[in-house]
Amino acid sequence: MLTAIFRESGARAAGLSLLAGVICWILVPYVSWLTVWPTAWTLPTTQWIGGGVGWFLELMKPTGRGLAYLLEFPMDWTRLTLVNTPWPMTIGLVTALGWYIGGWRLSALGAVGLAFVLASGYWNESMSTLSLVAISVPLALVIGGAIGLLANEYPRFKGPVQSVLDVMQTIPTFAYLTPLLVLFGFGPVVGLIASAIYAAPPMARNVILGLERVDPEVREAAIMSGGTRTQQLFQVEIPTASQQIMVGVNQCLMAALSMVIIAAVIGGFNDIGWEVLLTMRKAQFGQALLAGLVIVVFAVVIDRMSGALAQQRQQHDKRVVWGLIVLGIVASLLTWGQLPNVSDYAFFDPSAEYVDRSLGAFTAANGAALDGIKNGAMFYMLLPLRIGLDDAVLTFTWGFDWTAGMTLGLFAVAFAVGLLLAWRGHVVGGILTVVAVGILHTGVSQLPWPFVMVGIGAVAWVSGGRRLSIICVAMLVMILLSDLWERSLLSLYLCGAAVFACAVLGALTGLLCAVSPLAWRIVQPICDMLQTIPLFVFLIPVLMFFQIGEFSAFLAIIAYAIVPMVRYTRHGLTTTPEDLIEAAVSSGATGPQIMREVRIPFAAPTILLGLNQTILYAFAMLVIAALIGTTGLGQSIYLALGKADVGLGLAAGAAMAMLAMIADRLVQGFADEQRKALGLNG
Amino acid sequence: MSTDKSSAASLSEAAVPVIACKGLWKVFGDAPESKLQDALTQSGGDARAAADLLIKDGMIAAVRDATFEVHAGEIFVIMGLSGSGKSTMIRCISRLMESAGGSIEIDGEDILKASPKRLIELRRTKLGMVFQHFGLFPHMTVLDNVAFPLKMQGQNKQTRHARALEVINLVGLEGRENSYPRELSGGQRQRVGIARSLAADPELWFLDEPFSALDPLIRRQLQDEFLGIQSRLKKSIVFITHDIAEALKLADRIAIMRDGEIIQIGTPTEIVLNPVDDYVREFSRDVAKGRHARVASVMTAAKTIPAPKKGQPALRLDMTLEDALASCISTYKPVTVIDDQGKAIGVVDPGDLAAALQVEAT
Repeated sequence: MLTAIFRESGARAAGLSLLAGVICWILVPYVSWLTVWPTAWTLPTTQWIGGGVGWFLELMKPTGRGLAYLLEFPMDWTRLTLVNTPWPMTIGLVTALGWYIGGWRLSALGAVGLAFVLASGYWNESMSTLSLVAISVPLALVIGGAIGLLANEYPRFKGPVQSVLDVMQTIPTFAYLTPLLVLFGFGPVVGLIASAIYAAPPMARNVILGLERVDPEVREAAIMSGGTRTQQLFQVEIPTASQQIMVGVNQCLMAALSMVIIAAVIGGFNDIGWEVLLTMRKAQFGQALLAGLVIVVFAVVIDRMSGALAQQRQQHDKRVVWGLIVLGIVASLLTWGQLPNVSDYAFFDPSAEYVDRSLGAFTAANGAALDGIKNGAMFYMLLPLRIGLDDAVLTFTWGFDWTAGMTLGLFAVAFAVGLLLAWRGHVVGGILTVVAVGILHTGVSQLPWPFVMVGIGAVAWVSGGRRLSIICVAMLVMILLSDLWERSLLSLYLCGAAVFACAVLGALTGLLCAVSPLAWRIVQPICDMLQTIPLFVFLIPVLMFFQIGEFSAFLAIIAYAIVPMVRYTRHGLTTTPEDLIEAAVSSGATGPQIMREVRIPFAAPTILLGLNQTILYAFAMLVIAALIGTTGLGQSIYLALGKADVGLGLAAGAAMAMLAMIADRLVQGFADEQRKALGLNG
Repeated sequence: MSTDKSSAASLSEAAVPVIACKGLWKVFGDAPESKLQDALTQSGGDARAAADLLIKDGMIAAVRDATFEVHAGEIFVIMGLSGSGKSTMIRCISRLMESAGGSIEIDGEDILKASPKRLIELRRTKLGMVFQHFGLFPHMTVLDNVAFPLKMQGQNKQTRHARALEVINLVGLEGRENSYPRELSGGQRQRVGIARSLAADPELWFLDEPFSALDPLIRRQLQDEFLGIQSRLKKSIVFITHDIAEALKLADRIAIMRDGEIIQIGTPTEIVLNPVDDYVREFSRDVAKGRHARVASVMTAAKTIPAPKKGQPALRLDMTLEDALASCISTYKPVTVIDDQGKAIGVVDPGDLAAALQVEAT
């Protein structure tokens, strides 16, 4: 009987986790090292990494400093050029560029966007930021393009290159900064190099993808025309792949902008990211919001213009381009020497003050309600998840104290539900219910490590087989031995809670948008906007209402990470093949039946991919959210940055990357399995 | 055995074949060459046994021991179902793929030994290729697409555009030279593909299922134009298709492939009338035999050949069975057959004629 039930791998994995959980549960009161890994047993990984990498960095330091010195010249020239160009000229050029790329729409976007920047009084700061982007992006394009071409020309390198790009994408942004800080010294040059490194992978990826997708017959036609390899590559393959490569340029620009702004945390140089950070620290939220909006304007203008390059576009009248440029020159000459200092424009300062005042009034009036929301979420959701019901339920929070009787009752109910589910054939569901209640009772941050390892190992086994299981457990062991376990669980808890919220809210929103085109018309621009905004800016609004703390971080993560879930859910649900729908309709299925029986099963792999993206986004934001108060790995990475502690920064960064990779592979594995089951490939 | 004497005679006169392919193998998998050698040694040179050994080893033998010749000025059609290895074979000959064993000579030159430099030279001057899905460069106009092979040769813009316009006219696309491929219909796109492959005036022309992606109507039109172009240019052609009707219509000779093997080579008549096995017979099943078989194939050399009667025209040797039947449908007696000079050389029994036409129907 038992063997029959556990023949299914899912049930076996769930049963194994339950067993591990129960054993740990029994032993924990007697064996303390099951929850708290003794420091004496840890390896000084952090010091090793610090020592090893530190030694290497010291070795490279002269070169690094030399490079930094050299890079300062083009950087200063660009900044001086951008800052000193009269603004009518700059606006004229950007408007002309907008016209050239996308006609009057982009032209108007450029003009209005820059006019807003000018009026906000942040013109000089913006130009400083822009000068960093202007230098780092060409660097990133060259590096990324070269890597992409190399991988394409030598297929042997393609696998390794792609794994490295994967890893680079999961390493948190702040973790890059610490070693660069040591290598290049303080200053804007670090931000520049960090953004060049951070922005190169998307370019490389898209170059590889674009060249891979060149129609084999087009490739063969180039060969049969007698082209040399260079001729084939530059006259046929690269031009044919140009659209995909332009997608890479777009992503590269956005990544560079995002990183340049984040780099302000290591010390600004009168740039816009620094402005946001400064005003945020001073709790001048009106100004912070204004500066944040300037960043958003830049992001939108750059994104839409470079995005348009990746699409088929028609020719726009070149005369308008020249006209706009001439107009900019004439306006600059006419107003030469008469324009007031750009920093004196402050048309929105009254609005900023007004925002501050009304925010003050609002929080004063609704403080209780806001606190209510915050405490409600903390006490009833986040806290129990973090430290478990047995510790979180107190008179102070819930109005009563948790008792042993309640534990007994809770588990009795859990077992009853589990048995009922198992009785009705859902063995996996039944066991998982009990396990979930166990986790809720203990709290994620206090889970015994053997249970976590067995559980994740078992899930990995089901998702991707023995190899994946071994890799996952090995990564966890490394984290455990490096004395980063506790912090990892804290990160895991916050990330997990946010991802869970994203999954529920995002799936529901996606479902709504799939059913109602009207809803999608409203949600789509919001999603577009959320995806364009640099990470940093998300912190401003949550801080305005909920101050520093875990709840604010939680909200910021959700706001950023929910987008892929919504998009993929809707996409999956709306792209069911037409013939399947027709078959269902002709079988007499109603709308909800079609949704439940056809659309949702068919969309499952796509939705899982959305979940996967959401998890990666959440990890990315988790580190940024350390700025407004989280505990765990993100905090360690941020602290390491402040102390220029390379060992801690890299170790914590690596731990974070490992967690992200484990989550990524697990979900990918399930998505692949689903796709295979549906007979979809790719 | 029936032979199509007129075409066979003229073909055998060609001294050196344009393409001579001997024992060609293409094997997919790791270390194909050495594995093929091992398999051949083990099987004692037997191709089928060697292929079985390779398959057991997890390899794919896409082309197996293919031997054939293509003569100057002939249209050599390779026909087979998808996956039979015909596209792989044409790619081995043009060295878009590397073969695992055997030899390929083009005009007596062993091209498997050609250096990369020599290959580029060959492709620039001697070889042209047309692709199933056209393989047009999406970022170039029709003119630039067609002129591309000439650009590779280093010709200046004026010369190559002048030549490109010539070929564009040849394929009937005048006026569309500044369009982009995306603005053209499927038939027009393939005309561009054909023009491009002819731009450098190659002597050897490869066409890989050039008309398979087109509508039947457009396909027929392009087939006719292709024959028209060939009658003027007299290229040596390797033409790939999976369509037996197309093969019979265009070919001087046909090679039929199955599972990587060439199982029969012959003129269209030979393929239809004397299929080597059921597989080939199955192909020609749906083909109206009367349209391909000639009177010669059913004629008997009677001892006494009656002179053709007045009022009833005698049958000519090269008449198709369909035409022959039409012209003697009302007689039940043997009908005289005459040759080109009008000399009576044999008789055909109308019964045999009918039997030959019906044989597949039973």
